[in-house]
Amino acid sequence: MSAQDSSTSDDNFDLSTKLLGGAILGLGTGLAGLFFGLKSDDKSPFLGWLLGSAFWLSVAIGMLMLIMIFRVFNSEWTPIVRRQLEHGMAAFPWLALCFAPLVAIAVFGGENSGILWSWVNPETSTIEVTKEIKVEEDVLHQKKASYLNLWFFVVRMIVYFGIFCGLGHWMRKVSFSQDRDGDPKWTHLGMKLSAAGIPAAALALTFGAFDMFMSLEYQWFSTMYGVWFFAGSIRAALAVTIICCLYLSTSGSLKGLYKQAHQYDLACLSLAFTVFWAYISFSQYFLIYSANIPEETFWYTIREIDPNTGERSGWFWVSMGLIFGHFFFPFLYLLFYRNKIVGPRLLFIVCWILVFHLLDLYWNIIPGREIVPGLIVGFEARPVLGSHLLWGLASLVGVGCLCVWSVLRSFQSADADDIPVRDPRILESLHHHE
Amino acid sequence: MTKVMDIKYGLSATFNSAKDLFEAAGKVREEGFTNWECYTPMPVHGLDGQMGLPRSKVPCFTLAGGITGFCTGMLIVWYMNAFDYPLIVGGKPYFSPIYPFPVFYELTILFSAFGTLFGMFFLNGLPRHNHPVMEHPKFGKCGDDKYFIVIEVEDPKFDDDETQEFLKGVGGKSIIMIREPID
Repeated sequence: MSAQDSSTSDDNFDLSTKLLGGAILGLGTGLAGLFFGLKSDDKSPFLGWLLGSAFWLSVAIGMLMLIMIFRVFNSEWTPIVRRQLEHGMAAFPWLALCFAPLVAIAVFGGENSGILWSWVNPETSTIEVTKEIKVEEDVLHQKKASYLNLWFFVVRMIVYFGIFCGLGHWMRKVSFSQDRDGDPKWTHLGMKLSAAGIPAAALALTFGAFDMFMSLEYQWFSTMYGVWFFAGSIRAALAVTIICCLYLSTSGSLKGLYKQAHQYDLACLSLAFTVFWAYISFSQYFLIYSANIPEETFWYTIREIDPNTGERSGWFWVSMGLIFGHFFFPFLYLLFYRNKIVGPRLLFIVCWILVFHLLDLYWNIIPGREIVPGLIVGFEARPVLGSHLLWGLASLVGVGCLCVWSVLRSFQSADADDIPVRDPRILESLHHHE
Repeated sequence: MTKVMDIKYGLSATFNSAKDLFEAAGKVREEGFTNWECYTPMPVHGLDGQMGLPRSKVPCFTLAGGITGFCTGMLIVWYMNAFDYPLIVGGKPYFSPIYPFPVFYELTILFSAFGTLFGMFFLNGLPRHNHPVMEHPKFGKCGDDKYFIVIEVEDPKFDDDETQEFLKGVGGKSIIMIREPID
């Protein structure tokens, strides 16, 4: 090993240690928050933990979907990009671990088990229009109780993460095994697994989004919620993929391999899913706005106005920020050819998209109704700024460090080449041009 | 009977492989010719770059079409629902960017598509029924296994003898002056 190699591995060792340190610090803070929240009946640490975990889960889910989509289309340009995504799959078991505390508190939390998802414990208080009642008295829960109950929920969570971890493991295995023996059977197996895996993962992510995020306000429902989560996940995954490829092509294993044409195609996908995200998000709003049914509209109302005063709340500006910052700006920016092929320009917009994806999750997860007896409507909408923001940042850093650490470890120690050298499509991928 | 007249269209040179054509195209570009074209039996990747062609202007037409469509949609809804005959539908405002959004959106797509299609036709000078290069006696060969470069007489750098010598110099075979008949 040359001196340079050893110094690189030392750097990586340092980086791994730092990441693990960050993970322990972030998750430790978050866990302390959960403990504190459980004692004092404060929901915000739980929302923060869910937010941080959801962000990284969405990136991993998006990567999984991209791998499988690349596989079923048997696309010629993707193999060198796909390898980076396959390393990303190493994060799934750790993400499952990150969601475990939330499920554990739902199961073992006793009288506070409904602190995050109120329907978990039918004794929890909730709001019926303006009146405080128990969840079990709410007809909107009674009708949904066969689905929204603790044990079915636990089983579903296990199934979701089983599907994600299992598909992630197999996507890695078929690709890494082919590096060793060059057998084309792995390509065929990968395609078959992906063809079956896309609907499985789509169902898992859809119902996962229902269970984890939509059921925070169980009275509300939107059939487009799963597709919204999918669209956001793919956008986030493409952004992380582009960052990863740009980094590896300037100073790592993709130097000279990752070309303008690959970047152009990834950026075009990014543009396409920007439009798709807007289409889905707007359609959801549009249908609820047109139908104008109170049990649906309250969800948007608390994201626009203070229900007690009728004046615009801080969430109104977050909503506007999403429309203009998460759609119009990236859309118009990515329309221009040079913004897609010039590295720093594309890097800017994908970082922008990641920040706004986090804001989108924040906007979906955080606002909610907190019971305050005596007010006109009997509740208060949770404000934009509050302790949930700090808990969210802590778990974002904690879960993020853990995920990046696991992916970095996969890059270093997995028995795989820098690119899938024996993939039947590898030459076409290397010679890809616009 | 009138005598059939003709005018010179351009000098054509034949090449036997994509590689020869590709190299020759680079030299033609370096020589500074502007009114010239390559004819190949199949797409040759990178030839547009080698010829020094700029990126297509079609996206500008698409964008213009899209913006026109969006504004047209807004105007239709505003004029009919809020100005000419104000009407309350489903308790919604006379005009709002939300409830008629499908109209804006569909018109944006429709007009973008029109912009793209007609912009492409316009930029390519289509439709046209004939082209002078079809007067080349062996033109059919460039649908088979031959590659042509044609430098038009319109080109400011064109000169009968010098251009002929130049095409020979870059490896062109059977150099022919294409003549366009007129009557």
